[in-house]
Amino acid sequence: MKLAKWLGISVAAAAAALLLVGCGNSSSSSGSNTNNKTITFWYGGDADTAVKPMVDAFTKKTGIKVKIQSIPWSQYNDKLLTAAASKSGPDLILMGTTGMANYVSSKSLMDISKEVKSDKNISPNNYFEGSVKTTEFNGKYYAVPWYVETRVLYYRKDLLKQVGYNEAPKTWDQLYDAATKLSKRGKNMYGFNVDFSEPTFGFMFARQNGATLIKGKTPQFNKKPMVEALDYLAKFYKNGASPKQDLKLTIGQSFGGKAPIPMFISGPWMMNSVKQDAGLKDDQWGVAVLPKGKDNNMSNTGGGNLAVFNYSKNKSAALKLLKYLSTKDSQLQYYKNSDSMPTLKSAWTDKSLSDSRIQVFRKQLNDSEPMPLIKQWDQIGQNYLKAWEPVAMQGASVQKAMDQLNSQTEQLLNK
Amino acid sequence: MAKTLRDKLIPYTFVLPALLLLALFSLIPIFIALIISFTGLDITGLGDWSQIKFIGLQNYTQLFHDSAFLQSILNTGYYVIIGVPLVILLSLTVAILINFGQNRFFRFMRLVFYTPSITNTVAVAVVWTYMYNPSMGLLNNLFGKIGLGPFPWLSDPATAKMSLIILAVWKAIGLNMLIFLAALQGIPESLYEAAELDGAGWWQQTRHITLPSLSFSIFFVTVTTLIGWFQFFDEPFVMTKGGPLNSTNSVALFVYQNGFQNSNFGYAAAGSFVMFTAIIIATLVQFKLQKKQQGI
Repeated sequence: MKLAKWLGISVAAAAAALLLVGCGNSSSSSGSNTNNKTITFWYGGDADTAVKPMVDAFTKKTGIKVKIQSIPWSQYNDKLLTAAASKSGPDLILMGTTGMANYVSSKSLMDISKEVKSDKNISPNNYFEGSVKTTEFNGKYYAVPWYVETRVLYYRKDLLKQVGYNEAPKTWDQLYDAATKLSKRGKNMYGFNVDFSEPTFGFMFARQNGATLIKGKTPQFNKKPMVEALDYLAKFYKNGASPKQDLKLTIGQSFGGKAPIPMFISGPWMMNSVKQDAGLKDDQWGVAVLPKGKDNNMSNTGGGNLAVFNYSKNKSAALKLLKYLSTKDSQLQYYKNSDSMPTLKSAWTDKSLSDSRIQVFRKQLNDSEPMPLIKQWDQIGQNYLKAWEPVAMQGASVQKAMDQLNSQTEQLLNK
Repeated sequence: MAKTLRDKLIPYTFVLPALLLLALFSLIPIFIALIISFTGLDITGLGDWSQIKFIGLQNYTQLFHDSAFLQSILNTGYYVIIGVPLVILLSLTVAILINFGQNRFFRFMRLVFYTPSITNTVAVAVVWTYMYNPSMGLLNNLFGKIGLGPFPWLSDPATAKMSLIILAVWKAIGLNMLIFLAALQGIPESLYEAAELDGAGWWQQTRHITLPSLSFSIFFVTVTTLIGWFQFFDEPFVMTKGGPLNSTNSVALFVYQNGFQNSNFGYAAAGSFVMFTAIIIATLVQFKLQKKQQGI
């Protein structure tokens, strides 16, 4: 798997684009009036067990056959790139919310504003605002929110009690105080994980401190609100309340037992890992809404949307499947199969979501927004991680790091 | 016996399939990449070709102002300068040692040293990541038993580069050892006998008979190893993602990150062309040196 192969893929994609533009029209337009056509659904994940039963039910109901291709998330973007380049691919796509801006800008996703406005079952009002934002670009809708993620604070109840916290920290000051006290438990013990491999982490805290991340085309990363927030985070490294580097521990090692890292911020996907691998009793750990900064406790919305591929030949069938999967029943079934939380507000009254921990996520969703939805954001996130690394590892100046990130970003946005 | 047109064409039909494949999967892509490197092609341009702008040499000038790129060049240089001699030296040594005998033990050692090279780099890199794990990895546990460490195998900028090199060298020795071994067994026994009569010791025999006889295989191994190390990719891609502090990022990985993670295809293509040029130059220099050597 040398680079040549990766380059080969990209160029093969370009070449395929050349070829397919020529011959793409003839192939698949035949079966437009029959019922037994087949559509393709790209699904991010290692296996399709979670969606298969729902899709089978759809086929039974409508006669439309569906081929599910499940692609691991780590390769999902590569696969989408080839589809965008060759203008041939699936009919229905599960899009990660962070990839939306990219593929809207490459015109790979169908504008479904008309459907969204005419069908009240998939009307934007039904969904969480943060999720809807990931589907709307320049006043047009390109997808329907399907499942939602938001980040909350995971904490060890028993350990926090020992340092005088009967509840999770509610403010930044409390978080810092609790983390510092917990880190005094001994060598290689910490209080809170200031995540340096998560590209949204610093931006999330900056927003809690009142930062506007980007105004028009001008990034605000080196302005006071963001720098202040990052200085606050850097304090955790400086006094040993957070590890400075990835300790490469499993969740059982970092959060179970004596818990070197008794507090961290993560999404709903960690719930099962903690339950299965940490070996904790139910009353030893909990989740809580994020501690409040100067302005708010806004979290970061992610998740998945359903979109129709713009070059699909079976748009109406793909839309049927999209609508079918977007019903309340389908979303609830998907939640049961995969633990992915529904985006429909009305689905949350169902008793399968009554678990008190899940309800914490529900509460956090009221204060949760996606990162800026621009096609450059992936790169800005990566640049942020690079700028943050010296701050974490070597105690470099936050202001300097952000000045540099800001000018880098300015260049990116104005290219 | 004048050749007919048909006779002239026959050899070409034999090489045509190979040429077609070469053109389709190497030459045309290289040419397209060259064009792309002069554009600002990104994800928007991918879907709508009318949005692609030609920006001349801007990608290239920006590259050489990009500290991440410059560092990846330095890192790649480091890999090449440390890795290539190390591979040649070690595989040659192993080959000479194994060539000492023919019994079962030596055959077994040949197997031992060859096995790593038939493994898949990505799979092996994942396994080594576990071995390098700072708190529960095999290496730190073993070193801990004798009171050393723990070593920050992949988490310290200076150490991480060496850790990757160790893995890559370990994996590269086998194949090159086999090439040297074949060449060693091709050296006529009579040369050694004559030298022995003249009273030459083992070291003198090695220096004046073995090494000169191996010059072509040394050259071959150098070129292939050099090209391989210039494209150093899998190990940092799987094990460190170029970190910590960008210290293990190679040019190849830089190109991948820009192309496939950040969707800056034009910029990535420019980076790949810089690498392409460097490899061509290095190989040409090698060929020149080899010719000179053969001329003597």
